[in-house]
Amino acid sequence: MLAQQLINGLAIGFVYILVSVGLTMVYGVLKLLHFAHGVIYMVGAFSAMLGMIYFHLPFPLALLLAMAVSAVIGMGIERFAYRPLRGGHPITTLISGVGVAILLENFFQVIFTSDTLSFPETGIENTIYHLTQSVSITNYKFYIVIAGVIGLGLLYAFLKFTKMGIAIQAVAQDMRAASLMGVNVNRVVSVTFMIGSALAAAAGVLVALNYNSLFPSMGSIPGLKAFCVVVLGGLGSIGGTVVGGLILGLVETMSDGYLSGMVIDKDAIAFVILIVILLIKPSGLFGKKVEKV
Amino acid sequence: MVLEALFNPYYVDIVVFLIIYILLGLGLNLITGYAGQVSLGHAAFFGIGAYSSAILSVKADLNPWLAITLAIVITFVISAILGLPSLRVREDFLAITTLGMGLIIQSFFKNSSITGGAYGIDSIPTPSLFGMKLENMSYLIFLLIVMLIGIYAVRRMTQSRIGRAWMVIREDDIVAQSMGINTTYYKVLVFAIGGAYAGAAGALFAHKVSFISSDSFGFAVSATLLSMVVIGGLGSIRGTLFGVSVLYLLPEFFRLFQFTFIDMNYLDMYKMMIYGLLMVLMMRYRPNGIFGKKGAKKVMTKRLHKKKAVKGGEHIA
Repeated sequence: MLAQQLINGLAIGFVYILVSVGLTMVYGVLKLLHFAHGVIYMVGAFSAMLGMIYFHLPFPLALLLAMAVSAVIGMGIERFAYRPLRGGHPITTLISGVGVAILLENFFQVIFTSDTLSFPETGIENTIYHLTQSVSITNYKFYIVIAGVIGLGLLYAFLKFTKMGIAIQAVAQDMRAASLMGVNVNRVVSVTFMIGSALAAAAGVLVALNYNSLFPSMGSIPGLKAFCVVVLGGLGSIGGTVVGGLILGLVETMSDGYLSGMVIDKDAIAFVILIVILLIKPSGLFGKKVEKV
Repeated sequence: MVLEALFNPYYVDIVVFLIIYILLGLGLNLITGYAGQVSLGHAAFFGIGAYSSAILSVKADLNPWLAITLAIVITFVISAILGLPSLRVREDFLAITTLGMGLIIQSFFKNSSITGGAYGIDSIPTPSLFGMKLENMSYLIFLLIVMLIGIYAVRRMTQSRIGRAWMVIREDDIVAQSMGINTTYYKVLVFAIGGAYAGAAGALFAHKVSFISSDSFGFAVSATLLSMVVIGGLGSIRGTLFGVSVLYLLPEFFRLFQFTFIDMNYLDMYKMMIYGLLMVLMMRYRPNGIFGKKGAKKVMTKRLHKKKAVKGGEHIA
C-alpha cells in the first residue's frame, strides 16, 4: 500500500516538476510570477490532440509538435504581455498574466467547448507492470517519470554546458550586469520562456494521455500548484523545484490514501502549503532570500 | 410602456446584480486601489458573507435583517484575520497568497457540512419590511440606498486620515512607517473594511437568489472583479463605478438584443475573453486604468526609468 502510494506520488510529482521548472526559471530570470503558465500546459495537450487527429502523427511526434507549439505560444506571451511592461510594477505584469490566462482559456472553450474530450488513440496500450505482488505501475505513469528525468537531464546539460545556458544563469544573477557583458537579455528571456513552455507542454500531453481526458480549464489548477512547488522549493532554484514537486506529489497521494473526510479538497492542500511556507520560511527549502516577503 | 419596461423583473435583476458587483468592486478598490494590497481572493469574502447570512437565516432561523447585519460583522472579523498575511508578504506574492486563501475557502464551502457541502444552501428567506416582502423593485430600491451609503462611506474614509494613511502605504511601506503610520493597523483595517463590503454584497446576493453553492465564489469571480476595478482605475470611486458598470452591462446588452452573429451559449466565454484582452491591453497602454490618477503612482515613474535600460541593453547586444 505504502509503496504503491509512493510510486503514484512519484509520477504526479514529476508532472509538477515539469510544469514548475519553467515557472522557477522565469522567476529566476525576470523576477516575475508567470501566471499564464498553466494555460501553456493546456495548449500543449490540445496541440498534441490536434496533431494526432488532423496530421495523423504518431504519439512521440505529436508530443514534439505540442512542445514546439507551446514554446512558440510561451514566447509570444512573453513578447506581447510581459516585455512591454518589463521594469514596471510587478502588479501590472501579474494582472497582464492573469489576463492572458483568462483570454486563452476562454478562447479554447469557445473552440472546443468546455466539455471533457478524450485523448485520441495513440496505439500505445495502457499496460500495468507488476513490480511485486501488490505494487504496480502503468506504462503511462512510467512515461511521465521517464520524460521528467530526460527533461531534467537535458535542462541540466543545457544550463551547464552551452553558451546560452550560461547566459541564462548570468541574467538570473544580475540582468543589468549581464546585459553590459554583451548578453542579449531579450533573447535569453525568450529562450527561458521557450524551454519552460516546452516542458510544461510535455507534462500536459502526458497527463492527458494518462487520464485520457483534456479540457480547456485543465491547466489552471496545475498552473497554480506550480506556484506552491516553486515557493516550497525556493524561488529560482531548479534543484529546489525538483524536491518541492516530489514532496507535493507524495503529500497529495498520501492524503488521498490515508486521510479521508477532510474539510478541504486534495487540491487545496497545495495552497495550504503555499501559504504556510510564505508566512514561515518564504525562501523555501533551497532558495535565496526573497525581498518582498 | 416605459413603466412596464422599468418593472420588468429581468431588467430589475440585472440592476440588482450590478449593484452587488459595485459593492464588491468598492471593497476591492479599497484594498487594492487605495491601500495597494493586491487581492486575488475577493470572492472568498463574498462567499463568507453569503454563507454566513444564509446559515444564520436558514439553520439558526434568525430574522433576515439580523442575519445580514451579523454576516457583515462576521466578514469584517474574518477578513481582518485573512488580511494578516499582508503584513509579511507583498505585491505579487500577496496576490498568490490571497489567491490560495480564496481557493482554500471555496474548497471549505464545498466540503464542509455546515455549508451544505456540494449541494449548497437553498430556500434562503427574502427580507421583509413593514410586513411587505422586499422583492424585485423594492429590493432594488433598498440596494440602491445601500450602494449610496457605501459610496459615501468610501468617499469619507478615503478623504480622511485613514485614506491618506492607506495611500502612503500604497506608495511606500517603509516611508509610511517612518512617518509614524501604524502600518499593521491600517493594513488589517483595509482588509476588514473591504471584506465587510464584500460580505454585505454576499449577504444581499444570498437573500436575492435564495440558493447559493460554492460554484458562485470561485477564482473567476475574483479575477473578473479585479479586471473591472483595474480597468476602471485603481484608487478611484468613479473608475470602479464605470469599470463595473460597463464590463457588467456589456454582455447583458448583447444577451438582450440576441445578435445573430454571436452564439448565445458562448456569451460568457466571449465575455471572459474580452475581460482578459482588456486587462492585457490596459496594463500595456494605460496601467492606471481609465479614471486612475497619472503620475501619483510609482507604476508610471518606474516604467519610464526602466525603458531606457532595456533600450541600452539592445544596443550592446
